[in-house]
Amino acid sequence: MSDPSGEMRELAKKLLENGEVDRIIGWEKGNLWYQSPPLFITRAEETDRLVFDDFAINSLVTYLLDERDSGKKTGIFVKGCDSRGLVRILQDKQIARESVYVIGLPCSGKKDPRQALSSGASESSQVPPAAKCEECLYPNPVIYDVIIGEAVEAKAKGDRFAAVKEIEAKTADEKYAYWTSQYSKCLRCLACRNVCPACNCRECAFDISKPRILAKENNLSHNMVYHLTRAFHAAGRCVECGECERVCPMGIPIMQLNKKIIKEINDLFGPYEAGVKLDETPPPLGTYQTSDPEEFM
Amino acid sequence: MSVKSSDAQEAWEPKILAFCCNWCSYAGADLAGLNRTQQPPNVRIIRVPCSGRVDPQFIMRAFQDGVDGVLVAGCHPGDCHYSTGNFFARRRFLLFQRIFDYIGIDPGRLQNRWISGAEGDKFAATVSKVTEDIRALGPNRKLRDEHE
Repeated sequence: MSDPSGEMRELAKKLLENGEVDRIIGWEKGNLWYQSPPLFITRAEETDRLVFDDFAINSLVTYLLDERDSGKKTGIFVKGCDSRGLVRILQDKQIARESVYVIGLPCSGKKDPRQALSSGASESSQVPPAAKCEECLYPNPVIYDVIIGEAVEAKAKGDRFAAVKEIEAKTADEKYAYWTSQYSKCLRCLACRNVCPACNCRECAFDISKPRILAKENNLSHNMVYHLTRAFHAAGRCVECGECERVCPMGIPIMQLNKKIIKEINDLFGPYEAGVKLDETPPPLGTYQTSDPEEFM
Repeated sequence: MSVKSSDAQEAWEPKILAFCCNWCSYAGADLAGLNRTQQPPNVRIIRVPCSGRVDPQFIMRAFQDGVDGVLVAGCHPGDCHYSTGNFFARRRFLLFQRIFDYIGIDPGRLQNRWISGAEGDKFAATVSKVTEDIRALGPNRKLRDEHE
């Protein structure tokens, strides 16, 4: 893949100069070679800082929520996975389509800074692709105003539900032991919620103090309720961007639960891909069919 | 409200929480009572406006606070007082039962039934059946909040 940074800078500069957008969200090169953190710019002379390299893994779309009431127009760079998150936010009517100028970037897979650090690599080529990119089905943006670079072929992938099936094969007590071992690690830092494009409520259920859903204390029972509730709130709305799992400081396999829900929704209510088409019917749990499976007679 | 008891001291009896929709299942429970139908006393009923009102959070909270099983009862599909509430509930609980199974809690601990206001006998039979099912599964420790 050729480096699109030059084109990105040129476009961003033009957009800011002619006042088409008020700010640009992209990535810049961090202090370390394995970091490309988000960059927010409002002035044309800053556009030279923009990059799009192997470590531009962060999804930027949730930053749009911070200024959803500002009336400003934002230019934003999106990869394939990010674009589905953007569709999620637009479908949930959190921002107006006119308030965002979408610059699409086809992506052949990014690398995780944490893996770069743990593998002891000294340059990008030695770092394996990020876990969430291994199962990528949408390397090209599904929504954009302009696209930079050539479309990328989706790689032939294995079964995206392989990990789910592995857990399904366990006995009930093995499953419970597995999940409790994972959820007992949770710090409840809420990073997974904060980064999730489906978690775009203005007031999150977990932040409401009356009635309080979660105890302040960190215990296993409440950790489980937190994760199950969050997964259920995102049920049928999760766009499989894998950001929750990427940001989790404790390495909890959050996507294994989300993927299970996607798998079951596909089985129960017919195949569904969230965040792919903007003008779509409500997500599966926001609608019904009279012919749905009946198990409760 | 906490429904915990000291399991060790007395013979264990299943504790079951039932969410009954105001328009059908609660009336069904009422009819079962009017008819003096015998049923086990293990079920505590919370009246809700519609089975669609039942949030999975309510169910998880019940398990946290020490129930052994939950029954959600609503109008038959097509009979909802609010036209469509139970259709949404049906989708929700089909999925939620599978999530329960996936994290290792027996999905039999979360049961759903459609019981109309005229089905007093069905309500009593359901209560008996659910009580026996939960009795067979034994006391639930999973998801329980031990700290309160």
